[in-house]
Amino acid sequence: MLFVLGAVATIIFFMFRLMPGSPLTAFIGTTFTEEQHDLLVKKFGLDKSLFEQYLLFISNTLQGNLGLSFTYNKPVMGMILEVLPNSIILTMFSLMIAYTFGIIVGAYLAWKRATWVEGIGIPVVLITRSAPEFWLGMIALALFSFQLDIFPAGGTSAPGHIYYNTLDKLLDPQFYHHLILPSLVLAVYLQGLPLLLMRSNMLEVMQEDFIFMSKMKGLSSWTIVIKHAARNALLPVATAFTLGVGFAFGGNVVIETVFSWPGLGRMLVFAVSSSDYPLAQGTFLFLAAILIFMNFLADILYLFLDPRVSYKTRN
Amino acid sequence: MFLKNIKFFAASLLYFLLLVFYPTFSSAEEVRKLTLWAREQGAAPAAHTAALLIAQTWKDLGLEVEVKAVPWPQMADQIWYKRGGESSDEDSWDVTMWQMVSRPERSDPDEFTVNLFHSTTAPKGYNFIGYLDPAYDAIADESRRTMDPVKRKVLIDQAQQHLADAAVNAYLVHPLMNYAYDNTQFKDGTAVEQAGMGIKNIWTYLNIEPIGGNKDLIAQSPDEIQAINPFFISGGTDSWITENIWDRMLRIGSDGTPQPWAAESYQWIDNTTIDVTLRQGMKWHDGNPVTTEDVIFSFSAPADIEIVPMYARFVQNIESMEDLGGGTVRFHLDSANAAFLTSTLAKLNLVPKHYYGPLLDALKGTGNNAETILEEKRIGSGPFKFVDWRPREQVVLAANTDHFHPPKIERWIVKEIPNVEAMLGMFRKGEINFISYYTGDPTVLEDIVAKDGDITLMKSVDIGFQYLAFNHRRAPFNDVYLRRALSLSIDRDMMVNAAWNGNAVRAGSHVSPALSYYHKEGIENFDTGIDLAKQILEEGGYKIKNGKLHYPDGVKEQYPN
Repeated sequence: MLFVLGAVATIIFFMFRLMPGSPLTAFIGTTFTEEQHDLLVKKFGLDKSLFEQYLLFISNTLQGNLGLSFTYNKPVMGMILEVLPNSIILTMFSLMIAYTFGIIVGAYLAWKRATWVEGIGIPVVLITRSAPEFWLGMIALALFSFQLDIFPAGGTSAPGHIYYNTLDKLLDPQFYHHLILPSLVLAVYLQGLPLLLMRSNMLEVMQEDFIFMSKMKGLSSWTIVIKHAARNALLPVATAFTLGVGFAFGGNVVIETVFSWPGLGRMLVFAVSSSDYPLAQGTFLFLAAILIFMNFLADILYLFLDPRVSYKTRN
Repeated sequence: MFLKNIKFFAASLLYFLLLVFYPTFSSAEEVRKLTLWAREQGAAPAAHTAALLIAQTWKDLGLEVEVKAVPWPQMADQIWYKRGGESSDEDSWDVTMWQMVSRPERSDPDEFTVNLFHSTTAPKGYNFIGYLDPAYDAIADESRRTMDPVKRKVLIDQAQQHLADAAVNAYLVHPLMNYAYDNTQFKDGTAVEQAGMGIKNIWTYLNIEPIGGNKDLIAQSPDEIQAINPFFISGGTDSWITENIWDRMLRIGSDGTPQPWAAESYQWIDNTTIDVTLRQGMKWHDGNPVTTEDVIFSFSAPADIEIVPMYARFVQNIESMEDLGGGTVRFHLDSANAAFLTSTLAKLNLVPKHYYGPLLDALKGTGNNAETILEEKRIGSGPFKFVDWRPREQVVLAANTDHFHPPKIERWIVKEIPNVEAMLGMFRKGEINFISYYTGDPTVLEDIVAKDGDITLMKSVDIGFQYLAFNHRRAPFNDVYLRRALSLSIDRDMMVNAAWNGNAVRAGSHVSPALSYYHKEGIENFDTGIDLAKQILEEGGYKIKNGKLHYPDGVKEQYPN
């Protein structure tokens, strides 16, 4: 795990530096002097060789210091933590909706194989899955916000409202009022994967002998689907979910942009496009760490969901 | 047989001689393929369209033009940082689309007149085109030294004409900026237009009258707010906020000239000495009085470039300051500078010494500078007090009712809204009530205004401008005939209408018509056309052969010119 993280850090470091464009371009101006330029170069450590910069980056990172953002002059870790809760809440909320819906409907559609329900259900799922998020977001905004005025159009609160801290925000109903529309749109986009995964797994499991056996035992179809088939079909969906959680930390650029949601995705795009090396590096590294950890967690989760994986039973 | 050999030999020799010396006889060299740099379509749609139209026009002059559309970082890398390189391969751009944007301190023509064209700014400063002309330097220097506005106007006119005659750049347009507010929430006509800045300015924030139960002005910006710090010149939107929280000695008035503000009055003693008298009874947001000691601190602390890197150059010209008592501070300057009022007295934020003094002292020797100060309290003396900043979402300021010019609104709010369509929807719904930075298609906004009937739309000519910059270090741009021909071949009305969709006015100099006093009247009204351009090329000795433009006889390309 640490090895992978080290490799990721190295790749990230060199990738951003090999991209064209200098972080200093943001400072170009009619009153920008050579003296200021040289000061900035020194302050950013760009006067050191690439290798020296790399060593410095690695040693700082090992000490938990992700550096100062070039453009904001703020510590990168602090900036991540400022917007991280928003991203996590938005994506986790959508993931819950998407996976609950996906698993149930996926199982149901598998059960209803070769009926008209499937004939309508599958195309609908595929269409919503492949619709561009941006378009979906705009339609949702136009309908539910601008026309029907049920939901606010963006942000996490009414203009001018002040949350004194994260807890205050989480306890405020208006936060959830603002959360619903973006998370539903994101859920519509996310539901395809668990749904289709669940359905194809179910179809596979339904072919198995033990299902046939259960049917012969005269068990109700409900019991068969829920207790026997679904439990077995759930394993890959669980993996997808844990990885989805990992990705959730990165936020979602498109949804965040459409709904003016203050999340990590927008920050990442800004960091990359303005060549803010420390901010881009730090954020990507942070995300990589989360993703690797979630991958590990998915493996552990298997032990509980599927006892066959554990070493104990095998021995 | 022998004779035949001789004949053959002679013929070969002649042929050989011709081959070797032909270029010398017929010396007209073809003008190489040119590169025209522009931002990508998505990033700067109008300028991109303009570049394509211009490339097409220049083809009629026998030039091959390649439009290179690149993102800003790459463009800046090539054009800004590789200037004056070892070879023309390195310094490889020929012509580029470029823009200057408006800022309050640009209401004085000095910044553009000197910094964009003076030879001293050619190596590393903003004269990235490499324009070197001692005659122009003399005019620019003289205009900076001249305090009398009438005499100065003559010099600034002269500078504009000099640049136009030499076709140093090809000015295209001054864009029209679009602003709008909801006139069910604000009394119509109470927004104030500032020359070249539109209605997004402090005078509007102070004077706009909320009606119908509304108390807040809710503005928007598509850009990220990076910092709210009196010592850090960061993003454009950030500056709207800082100028509300921190007062300046003078402020740029709605007519574009500096007006007394925190200074009750000022008086030039001579060209390098000025007395500035502080307004009585001003208070910091924490209740402490504003003193002359604070004033001196505000202009002396930024002099340390290690601590306040971005403001240092604005106070460099101050040799010393003395407290004359009675609230008056005397500034002694190193050299006469007509722009001192605008670029120093109206630029530096007034900060309380008792609060920022210790903060700055603590930074000495740490390697960090004042831009890293992340204070919770942001103390100024301005008409608005800082209340809250939620990153990537909104900033909230509240009216400072103790101020000598208290605003009529209760709160000033700016929301970060990256998506234009969503922003328009919010505006129509009333979630925001002031469009302060419109980046979308102007016709969409005009349609909405026509449909809704309760929106006041304001269009205003920008101080900034869009232009074509020539690389003077590289042939053929060292030649005034060619530059003039290229510039005059471009139909400016077509630029306004086709590229900028009518949301711009013709440009002919670096001083916008928004700055009516210093703008040279009529400088943008010149004839254009391919025939005119061809005529100028002919006068300069250029020839179009087989549809290709050739240099005048004997002219060779070399780098640098």
